[in-house]
Amino acid sequence: MWSKTRSLALSRILVTAFSAMIFMMTFFVPFFAEWYEGASLGNGLIKGSVKVPTIVILYISEAFAVWALAELHILLHNISKDNVFVSRNVKSLRSISWACIFAGAAFCVLALWRYLFFLAAVAAVMIGLIMRVLKNVFEQAVEIKSENDFTI
Amino acid sequence: MPIIVNLDVMMAKRKISSNDLAERVGITPANLSVLKTGKAKAVRFSTLDKICEALDCQPGDILEWRLPEEDD
Repeated sequence: MWSKTRSLALSRILVTAFSAMIFMMTFFVPFFAEWYEGASLGNGLIKGSVKVPTIVILYISEAFAVWALAELHILLHNISKDNVFVSRNVKSLRSISWACIFAGAAFCVLALWRYLFFLAAVAAVMIGLIMRVLKNVFEQAVEIKSENDFTI
Repeated sequence: MPIIVNLDVMMAKRKISSNDLAERVGITPANLSVLKTGKAKAVRFSTLDKICEALDCQPGDILEWRLPEEDD
């Protein structure tokens, strides 16, 4: 049977698996950039080799991904301890939101070489905005919970 | 908050302990402590009703409004 505990366990497994994937990606970024240089047909504002910008931007966005994943780990840990509407979770959601927006900005830079990366930038910023709204909802929920807890 | 809870004063006048009052009102001693220390954000009418009954007093004897002090 599907349960709340199993759903949380699945989320933790997925986050751990994604963290491992991000870690492995660190070693393959230069190979991916080299492959992409040869395979990509698109163009951008800046003409020329896309290899070095791809390596730099992928490493920068990887740093943001690590930041977001670390916050996701904290968030899931707190949820498993039944600490859902606490200010630390609001802080995590805010961090994840900023990590997505910064990653989006990094992809915008890469889009100068290949316009296609604007799609990735828009997707990252969109996720960042959704997380920001979620953070606002959590912020309000923390306030309501605090009032409820201190109503005698 | 400009609302002051004078529960301590009333309890001293009636010579009643915290545990005793908590039991009579039907709340936990921890919640009574929150109320006494002014950390409570709201008080239910039902709780106020039971406190007034237990202490034989009026809500005004327990709750007081004071002008908030302005920061320099």
